[in-house]
Amino acid sequence: MELVLDSVSKTFGGIVAVDNVSASMPHDKITALIGPNGAGKTTLFNTITGFDPPDRGSITFDGKQINGLAPWRVAELGLIRTFQTPVGFTTLTVWESMLCAATPHAVETPIQALIGRKGRASEREAETRAAGIVEELGLTELVDLRTDELSSGDRKLLEFARQLMAEPRLLLLDEPAAAVAPTNIGRLSQLIRRLRDERGLGSLIIDHNLSFLMEIADAVYVLDHGRVIAFGPPDEIAADPEVKRIYLGEQEGDQT
Amino acid sequence: MQFVIFGIVTGSTLAIATIGFAMVRQTENFLNIAHAQMMALGAFIGAFLVDRFDMNIFLAGAVTVVAVGLLGVVLSAVVFRPVRNQGGTVLLFTSIGLALMIYAVIIAIFSTRSRIYSVNFGGLHEFGGVNIATGELVIVGLAVAGVIALQLFLGMTSLGRSVRAVASNGELAQVRGVPVNRVSNTIWFISSAFAAMAGVMIGVLSSVNAELGWHNSLIILAAAVLGGLRSIGGVIVAGLLLGIVMDVSALYIATAYRPVVAFGVLVAVLIVKPEGIFSVVRRKDSVVT
Amino acid sequence: MTSPVFWIGVLTLALIYGSLAMVLNVESGWGGMWDLGTAGLLASGAYFYAIVTIDDPGLGTTFVPGWPMWLAWPAAALFTGVVAFVIAIPALRLRREYFLITTLAFAEIIRHLIVIQSDLTRGTTGIANIGRPLDGMVSGRNYNYVLFAIVAFATVIVYLITRRLGTSPYGRTLRAARDNEALALALGKRVNRMRLLTFVTAGVIIGAIAPLYLFFIRAISPSLFAPGFTFTVWTALIIGGMGSIRGGVAGAVVLIVFTEAVGLIELDPSRINILIAIEPFMVGLFLILVLRFRPEGLFTERKAFGVPRAKVDSSAAPTATADSLS
Repeated sequence: MELVLDSVSKTFGGIVAVDNVSASMPHDKITALIGPNGAGKTTLFNTITGFDPPDRGSITFDGKQINGLAPWRVAELGLIRTFQTPVGFTTLTVWESMLCAATPHAVETPIQALIGRKGRASEREAETRAAGIVEELGLTELVDLRTDELSSGDRKLLEFARQLMAEPRLLLLDEPAAAVAPTNIGRLSQLIRRLRDERGLGSLIIDHNLSFLMEIADAVYVLDHGRVIAFGPPDEIAADPEVKRIYLGEQEGDQT
Repeated sequence: MQFVIFGIVTGSTLAIATIGFAMVRQTENFLNIAHAQMMALGAFIGAFLVDRFDMNIFLAGAVTVVAVGLLGVVLSAVVFRPVRNQGGTVLLFTSIGLALMIYAVIIAIFSTRSRIYSVNFGGLHEFGGVNIATGELVIVGLAVAGVIALQLFLGMTSLGRSVRAVASNGELAQVRGVPVNRVSNTIWFISSAFAAMAGVMIGVLSSVNAELGWHNSLIILAAAVLGGLRSIGGVIVAGLLLGIVMDVSALYIATAYRPVVAFGVLVAVLIVKPEGIFSVVRRKDSVVT
Repeated sequence: MTSPVFWIGVLTLALIYGSLAMVLNVESGWGGMWDLGTAGLLASGAYFYAIVTIDDPGLGTTFVPGWPMWLAWPAAALFTGVVAFVIAIPALRLRREYFLITTLAFAEIIRHLIVIQSDLTRGTTGIANIGRPLDGMVSGRNYNYVLFAIVAFATVIVYLITRRLGTSPYGRTLRAARDNEALALALGKRVNRMRLLTFVTAGVIIGAIAPLYLFFIRAISPSLFAPGFTFTVWTALIIGGMGSIRGGVAGAVVLIVFTEAVGLIELDPSRINILIAIEPFMVGLFLILVLRFRPEGLFTERKAFGVPRAKVDSSAAPTATADSLS
């Protein structure tokens, strides 16, 4: 199963954010998307997930066309994204957030709430899965806390845990390492790799932490001014002079 | 064509009523539902002064406008300032509460009877086949004068410039040392004064009763939304347009439908262009930044 | 004036407002849709019921359908649901204050249409002498108690329904979408559809409550359904606590009982201005004060949904704990 972008372009009021991007990411590999600020990475995420449909080009996943689909449909197909700032569902508890992510939308109607039966079975199933993920990610102590009562680090963990509950086939991670303490980045890398190795769940990752990305990625796309300027395995990309040039233009502080 | 003239008169009054509302929305960031009640207050106080004290209408108008303007400043400090940081929704509902209280006071003091301004401007003038009463001319003239005065104030005085600064970027203005409270008071004064002015105008044009505030609330909202909630020029054009549409529609359908026409226009525009007709700021379509 | 019959009447009215507030809580508190059109929906249901139960040609209306209560009541609920649907289509495309303004606009359009279509509705004159359940069986004064019992029963049903809605997975996702719509969408939630269904359901329930209001008021006219009515329901909800399940009823009882009590102080009936002014004054005062000093109201959402759970044990599926609910 692949996520394939074919000549995707997106313009915002005169500025070309994404310029004729073509790429293909297997669902069970870790693909990194790097580039300086403003290179169009987050915009690309938004076009893939349906929040900002592309002006031109097509995007398919597992052969099905997804550009032009509403965000919920794209998510339904298994493309689950995280958000840069893990605001989450502010008033829901950790546990509620987890269960919410797993509830099938057929259950989410007033009629179902009042007289439906489907709800109970799916709740049981969700609770079992949630218990597992919560344990795995060390959120056990926190399940009854509201999202807005969590520390930002725990909220990042919740972001992960909750999106996993949605049974993704490919994860789109938006700066998962941002604001994560260096000691925890190793655990984050481990987790992402384990998801790939044990569940066949790959990720498409945007981040500014290059050492983190280069260490876990199977393949790297480099974006600059909305265009793909390089693609290949991490060691090749790291050695690429063109890539070095565009990053040398950035400040040292780019690498966290 | 006659109805277009009526529409311009109605529209001028509406524009004056809406300018203050839009200003508060722009700078204080909430929809002040009590605005229309300030208008009603203006109408009643003006009528009272003319009736009881036989005051000259222009003098009564001036006194009313200043008095209500000052009242607006006081009310804003007492009612709105304490909850200023709670967000637009809390402020909106607080303004509903204030609107209800002002409405109650109006009923208690002035009763629910209708009253009219015992003012007679007399004289009907004719221009190229259309009639316009002196009173109507005076009102349009005053409306124009009011807008010009406001523009002069905003453009030429330092306080006016501060107001514009806060209107375009409140946080930046604060950082730059603009006297925020003073500007806020000024804005509330202008807003309430203009509301009162519109109230007196409506009183002169038609009659005054306790429901005046509620009757006009939604129409003012409509004019503000149509005008884009951002620029004064937009509000004026929206007000005039809405006034004309409402009055011209009386040619084709019963006058009772007038408010329905206004609301219908509002809903229709919101469906097609949620930012209003004259909005300068584009609403981002994307839910995700 | 302070006879028990009087207070039973006050409580009856309070419960009706309370039921409406509980419904409002579903769409506004949990759903995040600030709806200022409650009066319009209530008017739709009330007038529909009043009109289809007319059996007296002497009233001069175009229709004299003479439907019986058991048919008219559910029909009124359904009709109101349809009206809610029509409003929702344009309104739900808009966010926050624009949604609010649109619902208010529709409520006023409905009210004006009722006045204008006087052939159908008797316009501002209104319709009186609406038939009530069990009317013939009980004598005058005692009927107030019967009506109170009926309304109390209905309120319990509305409470149970809204509680079910709130604690279900649907309710949870509704609140999630309120907190973070983009995230909900990114998780595959059909937010728009859910909100539409919520709004229509609220409409149906409001339509079902409408005849109760009719039985209490005995005669309707368009002026009853002015925005002030909606504001009173909102104030009741805010006092009781948005997001909590019982907040609507609690707030309504506090508001209405207090307002009536204050009304009793002003005993001189000739000063009718003051009497009329008391309700908006009290509602406005309550609204300002509660928002200033205790915006979360009497009961918080947190209290309604806070779930103490058994510790999670990954080797065994945890039992679903009942939410500690109001």
